[in-house]
Amino acid sequence: MIQLNNIEKYYANKGVKNYVLRLVTTTIKQGEFVSIMGPSGAGKSTLLNIIGMLEEPTYGTYEFLGENVTSLNERKRIELYRNHIGFVFQAYHLIDEMTVYENIEAPLLYKKIGSSERASRIADLLDRFNIVAKKDLFPNQLSGGQQQLVGIARALAAQPSIILADEPTGNLQSAQAEEIMELFKKLNQEDGITIIQVTHSEKNAQYGNRILHIADGVVKEDINVA
Amino acid sequence: MYRLNLKIALRNLWRNKGFTLINLGGLAIGLASCMILLLYVAYEYGYDKQFTDYDKTYVLYNNQKTASETFSFMAFPGRLKDEIRDKVPGVAKVSRLSYAEQMLISYNHNNFKKNAVFSDPDFIKMFDYKVLNGNKNTMLNSVDGVVLTETLAKNLFGNEDPLNKTVKLDEKENLRVEGVIEDSPKNSTIQLDYIMSWKLYDKLNPWTKDSGWGNNYCMMFLQLQDNSFFDRANNVLKGTIKSHDKEANGEPFMHPLSKWHLYDKFENGKNVGGKIDQLRIFFLLAFCILLIACVNFMNLSTAKSEKRAREVGVRKAIGSSRSNLLGQFMFESILLTALSMLLAFVLIEVSLPYFNNLLGITLEVNYSDYKFWTVFLGLTLLTAFIAGSYPAFYLSSFDPVKVLKGFKISGGSTLSIRKFLVIFQFVFAACLIVCTAVIYQQLNYIKNKPIGYNRANLVQISTEGEFSKKEKREILKDELLKSGAITAATEYSLSLTSGGNNTYGVNWPGKNEKDKILVNFRFTNLDLTKTTGMEILQGRDFSKDFVDTASVIVNEALVKVMGMKDPVGKMITWDQPLRIIGVLKDYVMESPYQKAAPLLIAQNTNRASTIIMRLNDKSNITSSINKINEEIKKLNPSYPTEIRFVDDNFERKFRDEKLLGTLSNWFGGFAIFISCLGLLGLALFMAEQRKKEISIRKVLGASTANILTLLNKDFIKLVAIANLIAFPLAYIIINKWLSGYEYRISISVLPFIVAISLSVIIAILTVSVQSVKVAKANPVDALKYE
Ligand SMILES: Nc1ncnc2c1ncn2[C@@H]1O[C@H](COP(=O)(O)OP(=O)(O)OP(=O)(O)O)[C@@H](O)[C@H]1O
Ligand SMILES: [Mg+2]
Repeated sequence: MIQLNNIEKYYANKGVKNYVLRLVTTTIKQGEFVSIMGPSGAGKSTLLNIIGMLEEPTYGTYEFLGENVTSLNERKRIELYRNHIGFVFQAYHLIDEMTVYENIEAPLLYKKIGSSERASRIADLLDRFNIVAKKDLFPNQLSGGQQQLVGIARALAAQPSIILADEPTGNLQSAQAEEIMELFKKLNQEDGITIIQVTHSEKNAQYGNRILHIADGVVKEDINVA
Repeated sequence: MYRLNLKIALRNLWRNKGFTLINLGGLAIGLASCMILLLYVAYEYGYDKQFTDYDKTYVLYNNQKTASETFSFMAFPGRLKDEIRDKVPGVAKVSRLSYAEQMLISYNHNNFKKNAVFSDPDFIKMFDYKVLNGNKNTMLNSVDGVVLTETLAKNLFGNEDPLNKTVKLDEKENLRVEGVIEDSPKNSTIQLDYIMSWKLYDKLNPWTKDSGWGNNYCMMFLQLQDNSFFDRANNVLKGTIKSHDKEANGEPFMHPLSKWHLYDKFENGKNVGGKIDQLRIFFLLAFCILLIACVNFMNLSTAKSEKRAREVGVRKAIGSSRSNLLGQFMFESILLTALSMLLAFVLIEVSLPYFNNLLGITLEVNYSDYKFWTVFLGLTLLTAFIAGSYPAFYLSSFDPVKVLKGFKISGGSTLSIRKFLVIFQFVFAACLIVCTAVIYQQLNYIKNKPIGYNRANLVQISTEGEFSKKEKREILKDELLKSGAITAATEYSLSLTSGGNNTYGVNWPGKNEKDKILVNFRFTNLDLTKTTGMEILQGRDFSKDFVDTASVIVNEALVKVMGMKDPVGKMITWDQPLRIIGVLKDYVMESPYQKAAPLLIAQNTNRASTIIMRLNDKSNITSSINKINEEIKKLNPSYPTEIRFVDDNFERKFRDEKLLGTLSNWFGGFAIFISCLGLLGLALFMAEQRKKEISIRKVLGASTANILTLLNKDFIKLVAIANLIAFPLAYIIINKWLSGYEYRISISVLPFIVAISLSVIIAILTVSVQSVKVAKANPVDALKYE
């Protein structure tokens, strides 16, 4: 599903190239649950952003679903966002002016999904994440864990084939973090959604079936979890 | 999508009530100001355009060349009409028109003094007033015909049918009502209440019969079959007078009716604009105010960008395209503008009566007019677009990854744009302050400039009816003097404050025969200087101790033109030899804006048209006026005579300037107010942004005063820069305006000092409202969240 070949990324600063990623080559198949780990500043977020096409690599090629997407025009990229990719952020990034319901609805509106279909999907998600009672609340009226649930629900609304999550539990207590991880695992196993997450926690990484260890922009280890 | 956008936009507005209020208020005031000014401009622009073929109709001007310059005025010999009819190609209609004059019209015991004109039958076809009663084709054909306006007909006849009834003009002439037309539109230059035939004019003024080609006494209008004749017609017109009388010095030319009102200034025979210049200023002002309000909106919207950047990032990551976002932001701007428009309407409806009263005009919103709605919608969309476009493009351009990575939107560049916007606003505000101050100074200067006589407590009445008899006037004067209501009285051949009555026929020793020099003439009685307070510089006033039938008083300007030394005792000729007995200090006749014109005054009570009286300043004015009224009623019972204060007449001369002053005061004030709102918004934003910095500084030991200085310094710098940019600009503009006046103040530093101090004070006050709050806040609150 994802094929990275010799991906490099550097920031030029006063003529000096500061490499963040070096010759990253890897393949991620449909249905995998990959955790990216490594020390702070290693380039994990950068890698995830490249996979999510939020950033472009300075070198190398990137194929998504067999299509070269190394540098993509905006229209195509939006197309992918609408149909294939769901983002989950560490800081949740819900839209403050929208209720829970509307936050989940937003991607469906961009995707131009009919109103009855929309309603049923949202009802489904609210139900599944046990947040039906919260649907008319605004993000600042929710706990962190609840906000992250909404964030995930929003990512799932468009029925993406892959979820990219950068430290989705970074701001949460362990109990809430576990709940989110269980949810990811379930989504991965039952719905077959590909998940790539960045995490600092060895424990969270164990929920997945593969771990990429990165240090200084280089993939040091690629382990399959039993 | 749109429903959600609407909901979110409304929520956004509601959440940020402060910003919303500032934005809404600013836009509403801007829009209301713009609309009122546009209404005014449309009103002035619509002058004389009510008539069907107004674009083919022309008013004639007469160019009179003298040695030094060319005068253009609207006066012609009456016989020119037939000449035009016969000789000028392409003429469809032509008519003479007398200058409107208040004349007495009566039916039974209903007497009214109303604006009367005399004209040829073509007039009523050229100016196609709606005929409410009667046959248009036969109107004004017979000597005794009269056409009334609706209001006058109602006043005279009530519910009776006026057609073919007999009314009386000036108690003498019996006239037959030939028809009733609608009232003159408010914005029509010709204001009349009834029209009589030119034949009657000739009958009442028998001298017109043998009056030559050099004698100009009526206006002339013509309508072309179509405008392709214009050049040919104008060419022929030019020579019409001279072909009959080589000595006569007039060259008629056509001036479009539609330009009569706004392009009324002629220099050296060419049109040089007129009121249109002032109108252009207002038009510009209208849009500048709107622009300021738009700038406010941009400023405040981008100031909120930090808050919204995250939203933009998230939306992009979940599949929003840039055009989705553009649409959303534009939609918010349209929504806010529409709300402001509603508010603006309330403001307009509330303030229009006030402005109408102030300006002496009748502006109104014509809700049934599609043109109004077009402009209205256009203006709303334009405003929404101008105000919304920059924020929309700016906000929607955010790169999601930067935003989501938590990079701060670099405050630097957007802040400098906002600073630029504030400077822009204050440049405009400072310009307005300077201009308003200079206009005020100039107006005051002209108003307080000595006019050559004492106009306070001076009243005039016209010599009508019984007062056209010398003896009756004497009785009136004697009675009033005896009663103590007045202290002096004299007679004059024209109103003290009006122009006109001039001649080229004055000669003096050493005058170049070829020079045509226009000299104004007046006739008076005894006590001119005593009554008016005019000043004799040399020689004496007319006196009952002398026989003054062949004596004249001249003014300084005439002495200068004649180049005479010691003029008293010297002779000049005007049909007959006249001895100069006195030199009068120049006094303002028609225009307080222009230098005095040459004038001679002779004594002849038969030519009196006005009685001038000085009220006794020892007694109560009201009772004096009552006394005068009483006496007038007794002596001249059938004429409703109006007592006019010279002061009021004089005040009317300042109408245009006062209007300019008032409008620039008001709308300048609005512009400044809106700019302040913008500043307040920026201050709100800056304080928000620097909360953390301020808190740290406070923890490090800065006092509230330190922090206030810190915050205010930046704003004062902005305002100061704005002033520096504004000064040369304002100087150029106002200098150009002033150059239109012969008498003008020199521009002093005072307006500039006023501008800079006013804007700085306003800025400090505005900013301090916000910064005091921040400076006093507990630093813990801000630091806790980081
Ligand atoms: N715009 C930029 N300009 C220069 N350097 C950058 C930029 N963005 C990221 N970097 C550098 O890239 C490196 C990798 O950053 P990245 O955010 O990928 O790290 P990370 O592995 O996600 O770290 P963390 O675990 O702390 O989130 C860092 O050293 C960072 O300083
Ligand atoms: Mg990171």
